[in-house]
Amino acid sequence: MHVSLSRRRPSPTSWAGTILSAVLGASLLLLLFLPLYSLFTFAPWSTLVSEGSDAGVQTAIGFTLYASGIAVGLTLVLGVPLGYLLARRNFPGKSIVEAAVTLPLAVPHLIVGLALLFLLAPGTPLGSLADRLGVPVFGTIWGVVLVMVYVSAPYTVFASQIAFRAVDERLLEASRCLGATPSQSFATVTVPLAARGIVSGGLLSWARSVSEIGGFLILAYSVRPSPPYYGPETSPISVYIYNLYQIGTLPGAAAVSSLFLLIAFAIFLAVRLAERAGRLPALPGGFFP
Amino acid sequence: MSRWELRGVSAQVGSFEMGPVDLDLAEGEAVAVVGRSGAGKTTLLRAACGLVPLREGVILRDGIDRSTTPPERRGTVFVPQGLGLLPHRTVERNVRYPMELRRTPSASAVVDSLLEEFGLVPFRNRFPGQLSTGQQQRVAVARSLAADPELLLWDEPLSALDVSSRDELLDTLLAVRTRKRIPIVVVTHDASVALSLADRLLLLDAGTVRYSGAVGPLLAAPVDRFAARFLGYENVLSRNALATERTSPFGRWLWDRSGPGGVCFLAAREPRAEDPSQQVWTGTVRRRDLVPGGARLTLAVDGLAIKVFAPFSNGRAEVPGPAQPARFVISERDLKPLGASTDSDS
Repeated sequence: MHVSLSRRRPSPTSWAGTILSAVLGASLLLLLFLPLYSLFTFAPWSTLVSEGSDAGVQTAIGFTLYASGIAVGLTLVLGVPLGYLLARRNFPGKSIVEAAVTLPLAVPHLIVGLALLFLLAPGTPLGSLADRLGVPVFGTIWGVVLVMVYVSAPYTVFASQIAFRAVDERLLEASRCLGATPSQSFATVTVPLAARGIVSGGLLSWARSVSEIGGFLILAYSVRPSPPYYGPETSPISVYIYNLYQIGTLPGAAAVSSLFLLIAFAIFLAVRLAERAGRLPALPGGFFP
Repeated sequence: MSRWELRGVSAQVGSFEMGPVDLDLAEGEAVAVVGRSGAGKTTLLRAACGLVPLREGVILRDGIDRSTTPPERRGTVFVPQGLGLLPHRTVERNVRYPMELRRTPSASAVVDSLLEEFGLVPFRNRFPGQLSTGQQQRVAVARSLAADPELLLWDEPLSALDVSSRDELLDTLLAVRTRKRIPIVVVTHDASVALSLADRLLLLDAGTVRYSGAVGPLLAAPVDRFAARFLGYENVLSRNALATERTSPFGRWLWDRSGPGGVCFLAAREPRAEDPSQQVWTGTVRRRDLVPGGARLTLAVDGLAIKVFAPFSNGRAEVPGPAQPARFVISERDLKPLGASTDSDS
């Protein structure tokens, strides 16, 4: 029998390591997917179809996607520059800033809601200011966006920090000597090379935003129409599902959850396929391999 | 006609200080900057192109001060170690990059001719990561020329290249120098670059200039141990090593002829019949490397290791092997006393 010389036979130790890794990895996959399987199979598909065609469900899903889109946009606009500063500049108190950016990850989300409520409730100085500026927070889309930004910003900041740090400074120096001003160098070298990491960070922030509930329960349990949201009164999808659960409509809660998970999965898949197709730069940086 | 002058240039990076350095470059001239790691070679290039601010001194082009001109307008192109090719751009777009930045009209024609000139047409749509090191070097040269440089600064051009790619790139750099008349400063650890490309050498040691001038005089009389080793002297003995062997006749003989940094000489040779007047020394073969025409022996002479060339002469096809005695002579005029240097005196 022909044996390829170039293919090395794994040693018994590496076989054992591979099997152990596979067993442990499969256990984690089971842990991750069995609950989702039970969720998907809890309600009959007919319920999924009926819930999917329900106007209230569609409004809640649409609103959540809309609000999370605004939140991710804000997180990118505010978080990417901070990630850049943390990656490329040294300044007094940098470690404190890094720790402070991490803090929202450790704060229970009900507490996030409470903290924002104390800060921005009607009658508080900032709450009154927000009302006067026409951006009321309590029970509006801005409350939802604010909570989303608060809980998800660290992902964008740290992903972009890692991505910017991975850009070789020698490339920037070479580009400067080839005629690039600092801003051209940033636009033509830093941004394209860090883009994948930034996109990964944005995606993680989006995922974290739409999975939030604790902060919404306090600050925006029910969302009334207020610019820039002009639809009917609704709730973020997580709150909507929680309501269904509270009133005992378990098949409905399972069906709406499944529907939203399918949409989230489609979004993740679309980003990954865009990366594969080269529409997003598949280069070093970011959390995804 | 363009002329670059570095006058008393010094720069500081962290706690490291480089300079003062004086350097003149006329059109078509090439200077090799050599020295140990950490000697300040790359800092000098980065200061010359404006990536590191000068602490003192001026950089003049045709008498006009460019010391504070930003890198993108200075006319200097710096190719860093690793080449600095943009990994997200194809070969063609890398070469086009400087012209894109300057919105050069008819860039496509220039890019096409550069790709043609450097044999890159078959690779134009590949990314740098898909090229061999030699091909990447050619892309770097082509891209540098696309920037229309007035001074080319290259950090370690031949690093990580196999022999044929090295020769090829060396030819390319020589062509750039002679045909395009672009002055070049190369930082190199490779004597072949210094000896075949450069008119002059600048030897840096701990940030200061140890030698600046033509290659020939330094070849004839290396200033220190680094220069001697860099230029290919096979026997480089430090003053400390000689001091411990001063009690032996051979050690004493070398000690008396050494400078503050020791002494160097090319391979010693076996005694011939025509030089009976020369002092003949004996050592024990520690290692024998066969080479065309003979063997390069490493002899233990008291506590010193001496390299000797033993030819296959007079029909003899055998040379002494390990643990066998071997005789050799060293001509006094071949001994080059060395100046002190900052490396560990071993």
